[in-house]
Amino acid sequence: MRTLVVASGKGGTGKTTMTAVLVHVAAPSRPLAVADCDVEGSNLPLALSVDVVSRTAFAGRPRAVVDEEVCAGCGVCLDRCRFGALSLSDDGLAVIDPWLCESCGACTWGCPLDAISFEPQQAGEVLVGEGPAGPMVFGLLRPGEDLSGKLVTSVRERVAALADERGVGLVIVDGPPGVGCPTIASITGADGVLAVSEPTLSGEHDLRRLVSLAHQLGVPVKVVLNKADLSETGAQRIRSACSSLGVELVGELDFDTDLPRALGAVARGTRPPSSLDSSSFVHSVRAIWPRVDPERADWALPDDGSG
Amino acid sequence: MTPVTVAVASGKGGTGKTLVATNLAAHVARTGLRVTLADCDVEAPNAHLFFDVRAAVAPVEMPVPEIVGACPARCTACRDACRFGAIRILGGRPVVLPDLCHGCGACTQVCPSGALHERQVAVGSVGVGRAPDGMRLVTGQLHVGQSKAPAVIRATREHALSEVSDVVLLDAAPGAACTAVAAVHGTDFLLLVTEPTPFGLHDLTAMVDLAGELRLRAGVVLNRVGTGEVDIGAYCRTAGVPLLASLPFDRDVAACYADGRLLIDGHPAGDRWFADLWSTLCDHLATSSAGVPA
Repeated sequence: MRTLVVASGKGGTGKTTMTAVLVHVAAPSRPLAVADCDVEGSNLPLALSVDVVSRTAFAGRPRAVVDEEVCAGCGVCLDRCRFGALSLSDDGLAVIDPWLCESCGACTWGCPLDAISFEPQQAGEVLVGEGPAGPMVFGLLRPGEDLSGKLVTSVRERVAALADERGVGLVIVDGPPGVGCPTIASITGADGVLAVSEPTLSGEHDLRRLVSLAHQLGVPVKVVLNKADLSETGAQRIRSACSSLGVELVGELDFDTDLPRALGAVARGTRPPSSLDSSSFVHSVRAIWPRVDPERADWALPDDGSG
Repeated sequence: MTPVTVAVASGKGGTGKTLVATNLAAHVARTGLRVTLADCDVEAPNAHLFFDVRAAVAPVEMPVPEIVGACPARCTACRDACRFGAIRILGGRPVVLPDLCHGCGACTQVCPSGALHERQVAVGSVGVGRAPDGMRLVTGQLHVGQSKAPAVIRATREHALSEVSDVVLLDAAPGAACTAVAAVHGTDFLLLVTEPTPFGLHDLTAMVDLAGELRLRAGVVLNRVGTGEVDIGAYCRTAGVPLLASLPFDRDVAACYADGRLLIDGHPAGDRWFADLWSTLCDHLATSSAGVPA
């Protein structure tokens, strides 16, 4: 089984649109599985029709609770907490700010009265659906949760298991923006990262960080430049960055504001999938797909391996 | 005096958080107020690309345990105390997995033998500098390969809030998870930037829910008007969140942003857009406990 992750570093470059179009382009020739690992903003289900067939609770970190009957307000726990989550209320009792608490339990070790305990809580869900091309897995993280990386790992494990079960050879993953914990979880062990960039200074800056991360993790990168027509100087910057990073620029696509709507119409069933073929964006993606397809194209790290 | 704190956030990436934060900060600085812009999108910090700032950079460090002494036989206290699975026992000895460590210190608290010590590990950096118009820029940057973005965001906020300012603007990470919360928590007002697409609406909804849970006052900036047909105004009315400004999308905006230029300098209408946004924002701040910066 091969895994291709669509990522970007910078948000809003067109990852989800690209993923949806790749699925459209790749699907007719063979079965595939799809995952949305942008668990904070899971938009792929809006761009591809999906019937959810199962939902599994994703456990969060246990929530720290102060027993007000027991707490004497000595304040020892305040000094033990390194995240500033504990304070004393007006009645002199310990109060935990759930938004700052990391559930580490350091407060419990100092408490002479065992007044702090932990309760289990749910942090999100892993959803499995049937999409146009095969199984689709996505995650929903409850707002404010800190376990996005772990939820991404659950989504990837689930999609890999489904692909295995059904003998599917290709998994396409819509990744999150950034280079932090959820991105690391999304691209670790993948066969390739297709980085969707844009012709801006910010796009170049964030692309460099993403390539550096992927190469650290031993995952090769290819770049597709989206919205290339918005700035020729910006486009030139991305071309130079790709060549200095030793990564292949597989293609350049013009800004297409109609495509998300066209994908949405197909996802809702109001237009047939074949209606997408009139889009020049889809046409261009079809042209670059043989250089991206991890089952056919050559994916290799740059010679020095460092990027 | 405590500064007014305004966070700029977005459920979806690429809607224009940095565009709004940089232009608003520069506009407010030019009105004569002392402004600090804190780039808390530490995984992809881009605000510095729009200002000529030479920053003094300091590392952000996190304590991570290491085994330096002899452990008592069969002792597993540190592993049992760690809720993140960052300590394993292999061959009778504890082994630390730094990537999983949160730096909470529980392990060193429970260690009966003093075999465990903490060393500081650099996870990112904070740069502080001043732009030509007087605005202070604080940039948090996560080291590539590190996963502890919240620690860098906390350090960035602390630096920004320690500056003497009338207004602190925080550019948050995209999404509605812990990285966004670390930046926006406890601020006086949350500016939610979105775009008129189904994705923009979907992710705005998550942010409005988050603002409710965090008990933050929020308003919406609709960016890229013309790139989609979703009626964000209708959503705002239903959700009871004010729509503070609408910014159009045109080639001139795209060209300015692409080259790292501020709209208030490079776009004919830019200055008016951000003057209007600031004035509207002040009206909203006036009705809150934060008050209008003067």
